[in-house]
Amino acid sequence: MSKGVRREPNVIPGFGITLGFTTFFLCAIVLIPLSALVLKAGGMDFSRFIEVITSPRAVASYRLTFGASMLAAMINMVFGFAIAWTLVRYDFPGRKFIDAIIDMPFALPTAVSGIALTAVFAGNGWIGQYLEPHGIRVAYTWIGITVALTLIGMPFVVRTVQPAIQEVQRDLEDAAETLGAGRFYVFRRIIVPIVLPALLTGFTLAFARAVGEYGSVVFIAGNMPMKTEITPLLIFIKLEEFDYMGAAALGVVMLAISFVMLLAINLLQLWGRRRMMVSR
Amino acid sequence: MSIALDQVTKRYQDQPVVNDVSIEVGEGEFFVLLGPSGSGKSTLLRAIAGLTGIDHGRISLHGRDVTHVRARDRGVGLVFQNYALFRHMTVADNIEFALRVRRMKRADRVARRKELLKLVALEDLDERLPGQLSGGQQQRVAVARALAHKPQVLLLDEPFGALDAKIREELRRTIRSVQRELGITTVLVTHDQEEAFALADTIGVMNHGRLLEVGHPNDLYAQPATRFVATFLGAANLLLARQGADGIRFGATPVTAEGAERVQGGREHEVVAVLRPEEVELAATREQLSSNFIARGAVEEVAFTGALERLRVRLLDEPSAAQLLGTGSSAEARLEVTRTQPERRALPLLAGTQVALGARRLHVLPTPISSFLACAPTESEAEALAREPLLESLSTRMKTRVALRAIDGLAATAAPFAGVAAIAAGDNAASTVEWLLEHGAAEVLVLPRQAPNPTRVYIHWTDEIVRRATLAVSASLLRHVSAEAVYLGIVPEGAQGSGRAAPMRQLLDARSEAQSVHNLEMRTELAIGETVTEITRNLSAGTAQMLVLGITDIRQAGTAYRTLLAAQPGWPVLIVYRPGESRIRPEIAA
Repeated sequence: MSKGVRREPNVIPGFGITLGFTTFFLCAIVLIPLSALVLKAGGMDFSRFIEVITSPRAVASYRLTFGASMLAAMINMVFGFAIAWTLVRYDFPGRKFIDAIIDMPFALPTAVSGIALTAVFAGNGWIGQYLEPHGIRVAYTWIGITVALTLIGMPFVVRTVQPAIQEVQRDLEDAAETLGAGRFYVFRRIIVPIVLPALLTGFTLAFARAVGEYGSVVFIAGNMPMKTEITPLLIFIKLEEFDYMGAAALGVVMLAISFVMLLAINLLQLWGRRRMMVSR
Repeated sequence: MSIALDQVTKRYQDQPVVNDVSIEVGEGEFFVLLGPSGSGKSTLLRAIAGLTGIDHGRISLHGRDVTHVRARDRGVGLVFQNYALFRHMTVADNIEFALRVRRMKRADRVARRKELLKLVALEDLDERLPGQLSGGQQQRVAVARALAHKPQVLLLDEPFGALDAKIREELRRTIRSVQRELGITTVLVTHDQEEAFALADTIGVMNHGRLLEVGHPNDLYAQPATRFVATFLGAANLLLARQGADGIRFGATPVTAEGAERVQGGREHEVVAVLRPEEVELAATREQLSSNFIARGAVEEVAFTGALERLRVRLLDEPSAAQLLGTGSSAEARLEVTRTQPERRALPLLAGTQVALGARRLHVLPTPISSFLACAPTESEAEALAREPLLESLSTRMKTRVALRAIDGLAATAAPFAGVAAIAAGDNAASTVEWLLEHGAAEVLVLPRQAPNPTRVYIHWTDEIVRRATLAVSASLLRHVSAEAVYLGIVPEGAQGSGRAAPMRQLLDARSEAQSVHNLEMRTELAIGETVTEITRNLSAGTAQMLVLGITDIRQAGTAYRTLLAAQPGWPVLIVYRPGESRIRPEIAA
């Protein structure tokens, strides 16, 4: 035997080539632009940088962006699970159709969904006209933003959770039932633990997507500074004012917060997987 | 009784998957439900566990009626083919699952777990996850988990299906010893007859949703009552023979056989004999045979399989030879023979050698439907009749053949009618039936064109004398179609007193005889009115209905029942004819 680790032959040849290619792509598409962003912001005076990123308008936009994204991802986690469960476990007329519709937010230009949502939820829109008299304003408030973010994040949760639910064989529930477990017990002790990793992944994807979302939000948000202005929009406004440095500074902050949050979720998942270690 | 099932029926989309099954399993008994896939055995097991509701019947466990009790309150342990372990839990948590549900104290839980792991020989694996265990070990964990809450009944659904041969045998031994040690009543479902023999105190064989036979493994193997059990439980060659006053014979060769009752008087008729591959004797010449000669044959295939040698022998077509029933066309049928090593050494055989065949032991099936004979004016019409879907499916399922006979102009015929004669429905059907019955046929199946497999079979007879025969034929038929059986009793309009009481008594007698003699659950209906009108009304009430009609008078077919035999609207009608005075045939279980 040679000293090196013998690798199993693979369909795609050349470990060296593929690794090199992966690294190159990651650099060209992800790392270099991000570095450029940081460098651009680094060209600023430090006190100026702090001033830009801690301005009340910027801080309010962070809170809105990350708060609404988190809320939307949570809503998606609950209802996305319900939708995925229904689609996997039940057979009903129109199931295929609904299954196909789930992907619509993927395919639609986000601006289109934004305009559609605004039309529906505006004070004189289909749904808005019934909500307005009760004092619930959706369009041009943070609620509208959350609705838009929920819409675009939904398919991520449904599509990641679906295969996980397929994994939960009926037999497991049957076994638990013959052992004396009630429905809620089965749900809590059997179904949730099995589906949880996928559910967290779906949550992460939906959250990440929502943080970066721009197109659908600008129409329904109303974009009032301090109230309904999201960070991506603020960056865009800075760019329009030719304040490239300021835009880059805000971009760096978003990058940092996103990175920390995604890392935290991933660590949480890793910890969960260690604990239950669903091998296979 | 530990487990009692009473007339359990389960339907999916109106098709019965479990059809009127009644079983009693005694305390501490190991009961094996054996059947091919799709026979309804797993559905029945799930019904016992309470995971599948039933449409009809009662289930009781240890005298408690649990028909409407939820699975989690039934106190049964269930083991699945794919283990169904909770993969995110350790072995310990899996086994303690039922105990945690019951909020048992930690110390007690641990003690019980240790005890169970010892029982299934898996000590010290408590903290492993199922994914880290081999298949055999996982199934042991599943058994321990199913036993944790001390269930009254252990149910196993193909527990060895996913394991390889060696592990399978080991686990089989473990399960048997655990079952003995705990004395727990156990029901195991399998399609593997070897497994059934290795484990069972009692075997129940299912097919098409019906429980065909129940008995000790030895009895079922040596004396099956149905051809399905004969061929499913071990290999079997089915031979057509004729049974007469002097015993049974193949062609011109008389043989002595077990199960062949000597019958006094009466007409000779066709029977089906079971010949196990290991009961066939091979010799170079007829004179060298020490057992009954049945035919001469040519060896076609010799295969060595370790302990045994397997041969396939083509029977030479001679008038004295036995006729073999193949599953396909009978021309291709081959006799299966197995020989032990000493036998092989005594007479080494190569493919192509001619041999004389003897039967050491033959068992005659008490089935009233031995084969079919498609009768039509011309040979080609008879061929078309034989390809009718219902006749084709019946003969395939019964593993029997359909012979052809041209009966042009109803001229006199020399050859006797063997088996069930089949004719096409139509205007001439009634007179053809009369002619066939006069010329020795005992059962005639009248087939409308493209009749579907029946889902309900009505049974009626004109005279109590034909009750036994009609029930035997009906039971044999119903073992091969998934249909429900309905006895139709008819009271003439305006009947008074005893005229009304007699049909009622007949109805109850019929039901109890069907149940006790044929293990056939039969619904009963009582109609008031004129016989043919009432039968027609019932047959018209649904789709895919069929009639079995017992008669004693040949003329009845031609006159009274003519309308039932018409092509339109057309129902399959099976006529069973027994002349009034004779009780010749042994109408035992079919």
